[in-house]
Amino acid sequence: MQRVALGAVARAGLWPPARLFRAAPRALAADKEALMRLRRKTGLSFVHCRQALLRFEGDLGQAEAWLNEQAQKEGWSKATKLQGRRTKEGLIGLLREGNVAVMVEVNCETDFVARNAKFQQLVQQVVLGTMFHCRGTAEQLTSYTKHFLKPDELSQLQTGPSGGLLRDQMALAIGKLGENMTLRRAAWVAVPEDCYIASYVHGSLPASAPPAAAVAMGKYGALVACRPAEPCPKASLRDVGRKLAQHVVGMAPLSVGSPEDEPGGETETRMLAQTFLLDPGMTLGQYLQPWGLAVLDFVRFECGEETEQPPAE
Amino acid sequence: MALPAVLLRGARGGPAGLQSRLSRLLLGALGTAPPGPHPQRGLAVEAKKTYVRDKPHVNVGTIGHVDHGKTTLTAAITKILSESGSAQFKRYEEIDNAPEERARGITINAAHVEYATANRHYAHTDCPGHADYVKNMITGTAPLDGCILVVAATDGQMPQTREHLLLAKQVGVQHMVVYVNKADAVPDQEMLDLVELEVRELLTEFGYDGERTPVIVGSALCALEQREPELGLNSVLKLLEAIDTHIPLPVRDLDKPFLLPVESVHSIPGRGTVVTGTLERGTIRKGDECEFLGYNRNLRTVVTGIEMFHKSLERAEAGDNLGALLRGLKREDVRRGMVMGKPGSLQAHQKVEAQVYILGPQEGGRHKPFVAHYMPVMFSHTWDIACRVLLPPEKEMVMPGEDTQLSLILRQPMVLEQGQRFTLRDGSRTIGTGVVTKTLQLGPEDEAINWG
Repeated sequence: MQRVALGAVARAGLWPPARLFRAAPRALAADKEALMRLRRKTGLSFVHCRQALLRFEGDLGQAEAWLNEQAQKEGWSKATKLQGRRTKEGLIGLLREGNVAVMVEVNCETDFVARNAKFQQLVQQVVLGTMFHCRGTAEQLTSYTKHFLKPDELSQLQTGPSGGLLRDQMALAIGKLGENMTLRRAAWVAVPEDCYIASYVHGSLPASAPPAAAVAMGKYGALVACRPAEPCPKASLRDVGRKLAQHVVGMAPLSVGSPEDEPGGETETRMLAQTFLLDPGMTLGQYLQPWGLAVLDFVRFECGEETEQPPAE
Repeated sequence: MALPAVLLRGARGGPAGLQSRLSRLLLGALGTAPPGPHPQRGLAVEAKKTYVRDKPHVNVGTIGHVDHGKTTLTAAITKILSESGSAQFKRYEEIDNAPEERARGITINAAHVEYATANRHYAHTDCPGHADYVKNMITGTAPLDGCILVVAATDGQMPQTREHLLLAKQVGVQHMVVYVNKADAVPDQEMLDLVELEVRELLTEFGYDGERTPVIVGSALCALEQREPELGLNSVLKLLEAIDTHIPLPVRDLDKPFLLPVESVHSIPGRGTVVTGTLERGTIRKGDECEFLGYNRNLRTVVTGIEMFHKSLERAEAGDNLGALLRGLKREDVRRGMVMGKPGSLQAHQKVEAQVYILGPQEGGRHKPFVAHYMPVMFSHTWDIACRVLLPPEKEMVMPGEDTQLSLILRQPMVLEQGQRFTLRDGSRTIGTGVVTKTLQLGPEDEAINWG
């Protein structure tokens, strides 16, 4: 009852007197239509949209600007409130641009949220932010490099040349989706001209919104840096590379090993000595031999896996 | 051999007891109790309560955006019904703190609550994640007959509401009842109307009957705190009435055409051939016509006698373990794995589309993924047969612990129908469990399979 009364007072106080002379039903209709429109546009809750309309006397533009500002603030307060809730679902995001590839993991509480377009937008921003950051630090390479970023480093990154911080974007997403989230980790690999980065993402969800850029998302991701013995056709390199990265996702090797390694059976963790995922009749090393492809290094992310954070280099 | 037998019996979508037996025996401890003790007041707390089967049973679940009040609503329902003794009051914390019972993997981490209205007995499920609902559908632990969609009036439908509706469609929930919660925190009726309008539009968008779906406006918190009875108590009563009337009773197994998977075949001198097995559904009478399907065979005959515990009986019903005497069949005509059914009610298929859950290593499944053309053995009813896995076009491999849609081609046509559950095994290891979503015709490219 109290709230109803308050609402009425607020309305009476804010609405200009001239409005009072209008026919009541029309005012109501306009109000309702504006409310629906504002809600469709912002996706924010009914209560907030209504508040914004009352505050700015039905001015949609101002109301929207105010709402977005509020959403950011509310995101932060929500983020603080939800801090500490366990996040073990989420997505791996992966982007490859020329000789640089980045992979990130963003976590949330339930897989419902991981399927949400807004969450996927956040993952994309984190990927692009990481890419922007590593482009900024890139130098002329003579051999490959591999870097990892920790959560606190990630949250300080910018989304782009003139963008805000990733942590603000995350707070906004927390405010909208109502779940705790974590920017868990990121990795990037850069290789010199004569090398190639293969990638694969597994368990991609049916996209609810068309993904901008070429960010791939899923539950598992792998990057493999490799060097062909001599320039070989792009198409076959892409094909072999994909199988290689698929193998890394599926067989979860722990180290590269060397082509001379004796295969150690089912529990083998050295990549080149493992049974090849797509042809159990040979090891991965044997598969790669005719292609003359040397594996330099790899990174594998499994969403929600419990591992020690790799040390930042 | 004991293991597969148990598994096969559990693998059919029969009564809940059979299904939970599958989960319990094979796949670890069941994290949730099956519809349990019926509360009766005034008895000693220690005394074991008995479940009284006096009302038809229906499974419902709650879905909705986080913080929209699913758990509060569940608590409110039990509180209100506990006053008439037909539920046990569960506090919010009791329902929400299910994590203690959190078991691994295929055992779904769902909060189960039971209650009864005047007409029905309900098991109420609240799964925490999308994957949990999908697993639930695949294993058939608690098939949902209907869902309560909870939407907070303060927020309106929110991002997750859409995901939940998509999910409900995916797991085959056909009936929906909406509860617009937190109406006490909304200043005017107009806004409630808008929320309702929006929800109806959304339901229609997802292929539900948005116009005719009951939408009940109220406040679960008011009901729980016993204030504003119009928004509180009455809204929950209205909701229960809507569930009672809008969600139809599932067809009982007894009313379906009979089906008996053959467990063994005997030849009794002087009488003829007898098949034994457990009648999974329907009823059989002496003199009924029947049909045997499976292994490329199709035989018709008449049941000339039914026996149970060495006594003959006129009529057997679902759940009975019986022997059926058949007219004019030789022992070699029928074999274990064939299915006896009412003529015309069953079909044998060689290719199906299915939704499967692949067990993770902690559940005793594979450690490594499998790729297309993988060849496990499929178990369902009393039969088992080699099958070939075909992955959907966008999928190149399946990781352990993942659920996926795929197609299976059997070495020989066997009795398969939509909704039938099965298990996939590889050597001595169960690798996954699934449910048939569609039966398919064999294409020309499927004929060329080399069965090795």
